Amino acid sequence: MTTTTTQSGLARARRGLAPGGPGGGSRNSNGNRRSKLSAQATRTFFWLLFPSVVLLVLIHGYPLIYAAVQATHDGNLLQTGNFVGGENFATVLSSPAFWKAAQFTLWFTLVGVFGSWLVGLGLALLLRTKIPAGGTFKVLLLLPWVVPIVVSSTAWNWLVATPDSLIPSLFRNLGLGTPLFLADPALASITVMVFKVWVSFPFMMMMTSAALASVDNTVYEAASMDGASRWQQFSQITLPLIARSTYISWILMTIFCVNDFPTIYLLTGGGPVNATTSLVVLAYRTVFQDFATGPGVAIAFLMTMTLVVISVILYRQIRKSSVE
Amino acid sequence: MSAVLHAHPETGPALGVDAGKPRRALSEAGLRGRWWRFAAILAITAVVLVPIMVTVLLAFTPGPNSTATGMTFENLSNVFSKTLAATWLQNSLITTLSTVVISVAVAAPAGYVLSRGRSKAVSGYSLLLFVMQSLPIITSVVPLFILFAGMGLVDNLLGLTIIYVGSTMTVATWMMAAYFDSIPISLEEASWIDGCSVFGSFTKVVLRNSLPGILSTAIFAFLLAWNDYLVAIVFLRSNEIFTLPMGVQSFFQQNATDWTSVMALAVVMMLPPIIVFATLNKYFSVGGIGGSLAGR
Repeated sequence: MTTTTTQSGLARARRGLAPGGPGGGSRNSNGNRRSKLSAQATRTFFWLLFPSVVLLVLIHGYPLIYAAVQATHDGNLLQTGNFVGGENFATVLSSPAFWKAAQFTLWFTLVGVFGSWLVGLGLALLLRTKIPAGGTFKVLLLLPWVVPIVVSSTAWNWLVATPDSLIPSLFRNLGLGTPLFLADPALASITVMVFKVWVSFPFMMMMTSAALASVDNTVYEAASMDGASRWQQFSQITLPLIARSTYISWILMTIFCVNDFPTIYLLTGGGPVNATTSLVVLAYRTVFQDFATGPGVAIAFLMTMTLVVISVILYRQIRKSSVE
Repeated sequence: MSAVLHAHPETGPALGVDAGKPRRALSEAGLRGRWWRFAAILAITAVVLVPIMVTVLLAFTPGPNSTATGMTFENLSNVFSKTLAATWLQNSLITTLSTVVISVAVAAPAGYVLSRGRSKAVSGYSLLLFVMQSLPIITSVVPLFILFAGMGLVDNLLGLTIIYVGSTMTVATWMMAAYFDSIPISLEEASWIDGCSVFGSFTKVVLRNSLPGILSTAIFAFLLAWNDYLVAIVFLRSNEIFTLPMGVQSFFQQNATDWTSVMALAVVMMLPPIIVFATLNKYFSVGGIGGSLAGR
């Protein structure tokens, strides 16, 4: 649901916006009316935008500036403390915990983005064909994305948490040993990533389905007349045609994955032995469990920077793909 | 198209090519391909839905101390009588519905300006919304916690609602703008010629024709507020102020072995989004209009 609108949000941001407004719309009435209307429109626009601006400043602008202050001070949740310059950043950047969390976040994001994309793409292609009750499956497959993470993580816990849970028992009965899905560091990382893919693939499926729906089938007729194989049709026609939507879905999913807190925190709490501690979980713990506000906010700031860089790179890809 | 398709009916369409026209009689191979794909998607869906089915099944299974047999509503009634589930549900409903109403009330006018406005300031604001949306909530949560602590808004549903409205606002504004883009400006022009003001045409012409756009924005705000855990865990402290995510989580941590009760509470929490989704399903794709406009 939010997928395509965010696309258009990006698009409108890119093209510098705007279909005709009231000023342009009144083109065909006389000049006097137009200027009167556009002056009135400007005033009205100001008041229509006003609540939104107030909220943006209060909920996004002010905290961002205050966070910058906190990141450069040695205070806590109660007082700001003294100015320490880049010391918090130095502390964070020299701590092994930060780099471990950064590494996990990287893998979590890579698997989250491309895992859910591949599954979503596969299902979107499958559901595009004629299948009895296809519409029902399309709706049912969106459920992992609709169900609250608090609920689904509880269910996943029941399925895998202890050696006697359903899935470890299943493995044991098949003679595959008893995997400790949440207790073994490597296995816990994989489990969290699989959980993330499970939660996110419906989003990718929706985006890909919407993109595929706009592909004109006649292009395939031409291609098959030219003797293109099915794989060639897919890789050289389908994929390029949905490239823009694909890049946008990658950007959004990257943001979702890097910023994700509940998927990880509710399943493993960041453990075992910090194996699944992502940067957000680390920032949360640093601030609210170790009460080290400065370093915690510094971590969040470093994440923000990384996200901006990644978004800019992918954003350029979008521009390139729409030029083609 | 047909030559290739009919040669490989079971795999060709899976690669992004639509299967033959519905009116054409399907060949036996084509029919078999359809049922193979049906079996495949059925199996995939069944596996994917295991965690959800497990939740529902356990919620209605008699608990360890129960004398009931077969399906039972005992767990549900136990959860409501022994925990603050009713309070949590109420808190969640209040917070979520307030978020939905205020988000739409803020996003609709702003989205209208984004859709119709043509100045540099408006396009700059649109870009600003995009940048703000991609920043981690954790960055703003700490400063807001300190700000709200001074104002008595920590451990308070109003404080929670303000943050939810703030975090839904960016995407909600785009969703509204995308929908307004699809409403022809000529409708408004007609009303201006009749002497209507810009604000008048916004409320009487544009808003009146935007129910699908408003509903899809509302669904988005609903899901975000209903499902949030990060803001809730930071801002909520006492049991009777908890929203359902906090309630489910705290109950789960205290009763990790009483799975049937935990799952009963989980079902209470997942029911509203599923109901919303089931009844308003078609509005999930309304943003598609915005998507097609994005390509122009």
